[in-house]
Amino acid sequence: MLAHRRAAGYNSSVSSITPSIQVKVLFFGRLKEVAGGAEELVELTPGSRIEELFATFVARRPELARYRGSLVASRNQEFAAWSTPLQPGDEIAFLPPVSGG
Amino acid sequence: MSTPPSSDLILLVRNVIDADALINHVRTGVDGAIVTFDGCVRNQSHGRPTLYLDYEAYESMALAKMREIAAEVHAKFPIDRVAIAHRLGRLEIGETSVFIAVSAPHRAAAFDACRYAIDTLKRSVPIWKKEYFEDGAVWADGELPPVPQDTQSRKRAS
Repeated sequence: MLAHRRAAGYNSSVSSITPSIQVKVLFFGRLKEVAGGAEELVELTPGSRIEELFATFVARRPELARYRGSLVASRNQEFAAWSTPLQPGDEIAFLPPVSGG
Repeated sequence: MSTPPSSDLILLVRNVIDADALINHVRTGVDGAIVTFDGCVRNQSHGRPTLYLDYEAYESMALAKMREIAAEVHAKFPIDRVAIAHRLGRLEIGETSVFIAVSAPHRAAAFDACRYAIDTLKRSVPIWKKEYFEDGAVWADGELPPVPQDTQSRKRAS
């Protein structure tokens, strides 16, 4: 279920010596269908922000780009701004407009 | 956000919501009023007949947000207890998807708190419903929750 992937910008010759952080990424609702999965582990360069994490998914699934303006992100179960820096072990989720109730 | 009193009841369930159990949970001797909200599955959406709904949640965050709502209504209104249950999975027409019960010494606070709780839940709890029709299914239109802007950069600057 989980796939290890490198963020855009890495190549194999530097990944072994460049420090990286790993975060868990979750997609819900229609985003889960567009992203092609519900959960994934992603490696990024330290200091990366939520915006850059989302961009790595857009690079693989260009149709995600049109959802950028109509979704919110969360970091460790709290809504988070796109500029939020990522920490190792973070759980990041991309959430479409909520429709509970 | 402060933790709601342990006397509150916050649930995500996959079977029928037991409304009587929620009502009895909030009923104590100090209360003069219990107000409830029963959100149920409608048989149409924008005039299109609905067959059934399927709800999914970001469960850990949904529970955290529902607890926050309970804490907020305690802070805002002079109430006694809150019970909030949301059901997930497939729901048929007429079934209860969300049930809220609020008890208070006096009715005005119970009405206000119950209204605040359901309005806030619909805006900020990460739950999604998919509507199934004769000829297909769509994710329901929803609301985009308010997000703190650049909280992290402010924290870093301080």
